[in-house]
Amino acid sequence: MDAIVKARALSKHFGPLRAVDGLNLSIRAGEIYGLLGPNGSGKTTLIRLLLGLLKPTSGRVVVLGQEMPHKAILAQIGYMTQVSALYDDLTMRENVAFFADMCGGASRPRVDEVLTLVDLQDRAGSLVRTLSGGMKQRTSLACALAHRPRLLLLDEPTVGIDPQLRATFWSYFRRLADDGVTLIVSSHVMDEAERCDRLGFMRQGKLLAEGSAAELRVQAGAATLEGAFLQFAGGEKR
Amino acid sequence: MNTRRMVAIARRVMRQVLRDRRTVGLLVFVPMIVLALGAILFRADPAAIPLGVANEDQGLSIPLAGKISMGERIVKELAAGETFEVVTLNREAIDGRLRDGTVQGVVVFPKDFSAQFHQNQQATLDLRLEGSNPTRSMVITARVTEASIKALAGLVSMGIGLSGAAEADVPVTVEATYFYAGKEFDTMDFVAPVYIALLGMFFVFLLTCVSFLRERSQGTMERLLATPTTRLEIVVGYMAGLGLFALIQVAVIIFFTVWVLKIHYLGSLGLLFLIVALLAVVGVSLGILASAFARNEFQVVQFIPLLIIPQVLLGGTFWAVEEMPNYLQPLAYAMPITYANRALRDVMLKGWGLAEIWPNLVILTGYAVLLIALGALTMRREVA
Repeated sequence: MDAIVKARALSKHFGPLRAVDGLNLSIRAGEIYGLLGPNGSGKTTLIRLLLGLLKPTSGRVVVLGQEMPHKAILAQIGYMTQVSALYDDLTMRENVAFFADMCGGASRPRVDEVLTLVDLQDRAGSLVRTLSGGMKQRTSLACALAHRPRLLLLDEPTVGIDPQLRATFWSYFRRLADDGVTLIVSSHVMDEAERCDRLGFMRQGKLLAEGSAAELRVQAGAATLEGAFLQFAGGEKR
Repeated sequence: MNTRRMVAIARRVMRQVLRDRRTVGLLVFVPMIVLALGAILFRADPAAIPLGVANEDQGLSIPLAGKISMGERIVKELAAGETFEVVTLNREAIDGRLRDGTVQGVVVFPKDFSAQFHQNQQATLDLRLEGSNPTRSMVITARVTEASIKALAGLVSMGIGLSGAAEADVPVTVEATYFYAGKEFDTMDFVAPVYIALLGMFFVFLLTCVSFLRERSQGTMERLLATPTTRLEIVVGYMAGLGLFALIQVAVIIFFTVWVLKIHYLGSLGLLFLIVALLAVVGVSLGILASAFARNEFQVVQFIPLLIIPQVLLGGTFWAVEEMPNYLQPLAYAMPITYANRALRDVMLKGWGLAEIWPNLVILTGYAVLLIALGALTMRREVA
């Protein structure tokens, strides 16, 4: 299958800091790719580079067949930021409809459908200000989904939410992938990485290793993913 | 109460303030600048007011003393002080010069001025005022009266006019006529047009600045830029959305000043609306631009003394730009509000139409376009 997202020798430096350092990436259509690494390992910078929100210091990014940055192609991409970026003084439905409008729009039934998907249909008319953190996260996800994107970039979507909601999120993700949507999910929680089709271990702006959870464990000779990560990280100079 | 903890807190707060260099600058330099401006404007000798003189006085031949022209004596007296810059005019040129503002008043001496004075033992001065600035009209009237009394008093001592009369008794009446506006216009009428401008610009500026800042700090700006929307679309969208509120606000302000405060106005309401709408657009774009340089709401408030107060002082709100010291005038002309003020006054006090005020509107539009472009450019700073 053809790669939906390709990055070649991608680097982004902020002064002396090499946030992303000569990284190569290739992601196939319909897979869930987990970007795994500690805080500050460059996951968010990589996602912003893939979206064309940042200009690479060197290297190139091709998304859905287009060299980034490319404004029009963003209509086919859904993006969920690390901290839920919503308008506090709008209702949940207004937020979802607004972000969908930015990407070509969504019908009212479609907005209701996404809100139902994240199980928020009963609170659709509530102001975001009055919602709990978990509800905001779910609204954020709905905002990223409403325009039926082919590619979803989710930056730590499950950070700060309870285990039950986390399980629900992962079942949405799987359902979306089954429908042919490609997902890139960043996380620093090892146990949820098991649910990804493929994983990339990231540290200091570099990909240490890539493969399915099982492959990575075998490769590292470790019993857990966490052990595998430490094994790979240990190989690098500290 | 724990002193140690309080000291620790105080130290931390001081450290935070000191780390924010701009706040320190705001606390130290901005008051100095604002105070200095105020002092300069209040104290500086105003630039001389251009006063026209149409002197047709043929004078009077008096035995022993020879030929005497009283008109000439008064003109000499007017030119002697620092208040006026005397311009000699023909009678035909008076209206034109008053209209374009190159003279602020004209004293007219008819052919028989001296003869009349000799015959009636009193002088009536024909003073025509531009009239759109009531304070200035009062100054001109007072100074012209003063100068005439002085000039004619000199004649009294020569035995012409009322013999034996003291200087204070010289009978001079100044009959002032107004080219624009009129006696019933007071200082409030002069200041009201710029109140409209100031309020129209100030609130949309604050509103835009704060909402744009929120957009940046809550992450929704990044989210927006990850969609096909362009920066220019965002700026124009803001302008349209907030511009609507600005127009509503302008309507309220105009309604209040015209019908409740009963401010005099001559020109068309539609034109008034157009000027303030343009200024509101400038306010929105200035807000967007400023928000790029603020990290929080507190820093937005810092822009008030920095960007708004100088516009109040220098934009011709209370002091006419033409009467400011020469070195301040270029600054005044760099402020967008100067042009809105001028256009509003021309419309409200002089009853001018689009044909006369369009250059101001063009300049305002230019400012709006420039600021929109700069605002869109600053959005590039944080993202690619």
